[in-house]
Amino acid sequence: MKTATVAHKVDGAESPWSGWLRRRRGAWRTRATASDAGEVELGQRRVYILPTGAGIGYGVLLLVLLIGSINYNLGLGFGLTFLAAACAVVDMFYTYRNLAHLRLRAGRAPDVFAGTEVPFELHIANPTRIDRYAVLADVDDAPEPRHAIDIAAGNSVALVLAGPTDRRGWCAAPRVRLTTRFPLGLFRAWSYWQPDSRALVYPAPEQDAPPLPMSGRPSPDGSGSAGSDDFAGVRSYQPGDPLRHLAWRQIARLDPRDGGHLVTKQFEGGAVDQLVLDFDALPAQLDPELKLSRMARWVLEAELRTLPYAFRLGRIQHDTALGPAHQAACLRALALYGLPSQDKP
Amino acid sequence: MKARFPNLARDKQDTLLLLASALLVLAPHAAHLPPWVSLLCGATLAWRAAITLRGKRMPPTLVLVPVAAAAMAGVLHSYHTLLGKDAGVAMLVLLVAFKMLEMHARRDLFVVIFLCLFLVLTNFFYSQSIGTALLMLASLAALLTVQLSFQLTGAVPPLRTRLLMGSRILLLAAPLAAVAFVVFPRVEGPLWGMPDDGRSARTGLSDTMSPGQMANLAQSSEIAFRVRFDGPVPSQPQLYWRGPVLASYDGQTWTRLAPGRRQGRPQAVSVSVNGKALHYQVTQEASQARWLFALEVPQALPALPDRSVSLTPELEIQANAPLTERVRYDLASFVNFRLQGDAALDDPADWLLLPYGANPRALAAGQRLRAQEADPARRAAAVLRDFAGKGYVYTLQPPLLPGENSIDEFLYRTRAGFCEHYAGAFVFLMRAAGVPARVVTGYQGGELNPIDGYLTVRQSDAHAWAEVWLEGRGWVRLDPTAAVSPLRVQRGMADALPPPAPFGMDMLGRLIQPDPDSLLARVRYALGAANNGWNQWVLNYTPQRQHDLVQRLQGGLFGWRSVALLALGCLVLLGARILWRRRRADPVDTLYSALCGRLGQLGLARAPDEGPTAYAARIAASGLAPGPSAAADEFLRRYSAYRYGPPHTGAVPALLPILKDLLSRVR
Repeated sequence: MKTATVAHKVDGAESPWSGWLRRRRGAWRTRATASDAGEVELGQRRVYILPTGAGIGYGVLLLVLLIGSINYNLGLGFGLTFLAAACAVVDMFYTYRNLAHLRLRAGRAPDVFAGTEVPFELHIANPTRIDRYAVLADVDDAPEPRHAIDIAAGNSVALVLAGPTDRRGWCAAPRVRLTTRFPLGLFRAWSYWQPDSRALVYPAPEQDAPPLPMSGRPSPDGSGSAGSDDFAGVRSYQPGDPLRHLAWRQIARLDPRDGGHLVTKQFEGGAVDQLVLDFDALPAQLDPELKLSRMARWVLEAELRTLPYAFRLGRIQHDTALGPAHQAACLRALALYGLPSQDKP
Repeated sequence: MKARFPNLARDKQDTLLLLASALLVLAPHAAHLPPWVSLLCGATLAWRAAITLRGKRMPPTLVLVPVAAAAMAGVLHSYHTLLGKDAGVAMLVLLVAFKMLEMHARRDLFVVIFLCLFLVLTNFFYSQSIGTALLMLASLAALLTVQLSFQLTGAVPPLRTRLLMGSRILLLAAPLAAVAFVVFPRVEGPLWGMPDDGRSARTGLSDTMSPGQMANLAQSSEIAFRVRFDGPVPSQPQLYWRGPVLASYDGQTWTRLAPGRRQGRPQAVSVSVNGKALHYQVTQEASQARWLFALEVPQALPALPDRSVSLTPELEIQANAPLTERVRYDLASFVNFRLQGDAALDDPADWLLLPYGANPRALAAGQRLRAQEADPARRAAAVLRDFAGKGYVYTLQPPLLPGENSIDEFLYRTRAGFCEHYAGAFVFLMRAAGVPARVVTGYQGGELNPIDGYLTVRQSDAHAWAEVWLEGRGWVRLDPTAAVSPLRVQRGMADALPPPAPFGMDMLGRLIQPDPDSLLARVRYALGAANNGWNQWVLNYTPQRQHDLVQRLQGGLFGWRSVALLALGCLVLLGARILWRRRRADPVDTLYSALCGRLGQLGLARAPDEGPTAYAARIAASGLAPGPSAAADEFLRRYSAYRYGPPHTGAVPALLPILKDLLSRVR
């Protein structure tokens, strides 16, 4: 607060001092809040250190040793006291060094559905020639670190930290805290790291969604008419489909535990089913989030049944298609619908 | 441990390691603890080890509480208190042992380790030798190893590596501790009254002298005091360290002048000195007595930190309280002096009294002497001549002298004795001959350690000699022992007595008293010097000594020369470090970083994820001046080819000047 007023006072004068002060404050703010792009090295200014409870107890012990040595005039007692104190100083340095100059890099984060956890992959490399032991890592708000890692000299360790998701959209990696008490446990060194990584969170698929919105039905004569039996694809079984049109190969591929859907072959000619997942076609009174959830469920189901589907969400229109890329594009559109656009893919 | 129990779980290994280091800490205490405490502790640790190895559960608190209470009662019974220092240490030892059976959380581990550290300190109450210090280092290393073992979470390096880690912490801490030891401001203890635990009596010179006493003392090689002379060390026959002066004889024991006889007398005596004073420093071991030792006539009284010192008319230096710890004092002495030479004695009867009726033959001989010789000095010379010429023997094991007339027995029958026999008999004869005489006890000689220049005076150098008062000359020192065995005074005890070889083990005798040039003697001297240095600099590093040292350091170390040297050293180290870092980096990469930095200044910083080719494309499109742009493009192309192209050898030296040239054109 004080530095701020000083900076304002001399602002008009524009002395080099005030400029330096402003730059420093800016640098601090960036360091404290910004996420860390690319690989990050835990430099001296990023490692914080404080004595632990045991460390404070050790300080009291040192005091007792000193008083005892003075009172009984123990020359060797002074030696022990100072040696023990110096050990604590060395421990402080070692604890700092156990964390310092580690290189941190965010790995990939897969896309997930809301409600599940995102596994953020983090890489911690030790380019130095010192083995690191007992480094505890977890998200910043975890009460007790759940991951303990050792990183040998010149090695790298991959760590997966699960971050919770509750909303669709981009989910930034949580702030990570690395802690260590090694070697003596008298000091705790820690460091914060905001990984430059984010995961795309799709809307949670609706649990009991209505069946896929098939537009129209195959005409009774179209199914048997000659010249129109060019195989065009498969769709889910509708009561009344002739048995000989069932797509046995696809049925066999489906897991009976998923409900054991029956699938019917579709043929060109006559009335062909057109599966269109259209956001605007859903009832207007529904909550938009619910609509997105329903669309997500339908996309999954269509993929499951290998029914080609077209996708319409506001201005985004995907033509009828099938496959992982199509599914990803559709789910991504659902995840980001109505959210302010962010430049990074 | 790991080799024997390869399948032992990690926490069990850690626990066993903790037990081993606790044993290391507790073991030296066995020397002073009652045997039952040591046994109980040993049993407890063994029990804990068994629990660990077998994977059993710890005993419930209900079992521990009565055992602990019984142990407390035992301490009370052994020491009759729970408060004193010794009882407190015993309680602490038991506490650490029992705490092993009640360890559950990590916090308990810290409690045990802290208690162990405290126990290491308490061991110094009993011993502060170099060996104890080495044991302390070993204990510390073990405790540090345990502490860091318990901090490990995943990978566990082998025990050897962990021991190395612990030792390295200690090694790094040592210089820091040494600096703190020297410069940390010292306060003179005690801060509060120490409970007097009745320190054990030690051998030393006492206030009385009876036959056999000195001979006993002569068999102890314990150190009485050490002396460092500022100048050259005086010759052996000059080294008479004066202690209690004895006046009264009761037929068996010589004692000091009774306090009642001093009353009403002037406390000052006349002393005239000539020659230069000898300056020296005495470091006296704890003697449990009040005597300080100086060479004959001290110039001034020595200063002791928390005791007052006084000088008696007999030139004894006396502290007001027994010396319970090692003290160091500076002295200046005159060896050429005249004591009470210019006047008559205040009360000659003090120095002429003899017990009535005892030793009739010696009494008669003295009276005969008085009749024969008019000059008291000649009477003394006659007695000394008798001692030298009439078959008297100087021996450490004189025959016993029972009965009333021990001096008669000695002079006319056994004729074999130690210094106290000769001094006593001589003073008796002098008094019988009417010459005021007295016995002076103290130390004579000392052993010069050629390594550190300290003169070591041992209990075996204890000596008794005589002083006679001669009109016009004052008190004159006469050493009857020197008349019997001149070697005793000239060369010291070791040479004066024939080596004792009771079972024909002559060699052994040589080993005990080696000649000063042998290897063994040199080893002994080196050990003595180490021990003395330890005492001087570690155990007795007082505020005064610290002050002196800091003064000296300020003079020598903090001059501009030292500061300049230090700064230069730092610069060299810094430069070496920078050079070393440079050397390690690939020179091509260094140039690449330099280029990126320079382009960054031009507003074209490389993005962290941008490769050289993409970077070059962006630079080409950026509208940079054509010259630098082309140079940067060329640079990046070559760098890309070097870094990602097929492997090549010998291209780097050729590439470097080209890159440097290109770099210089980007601005």
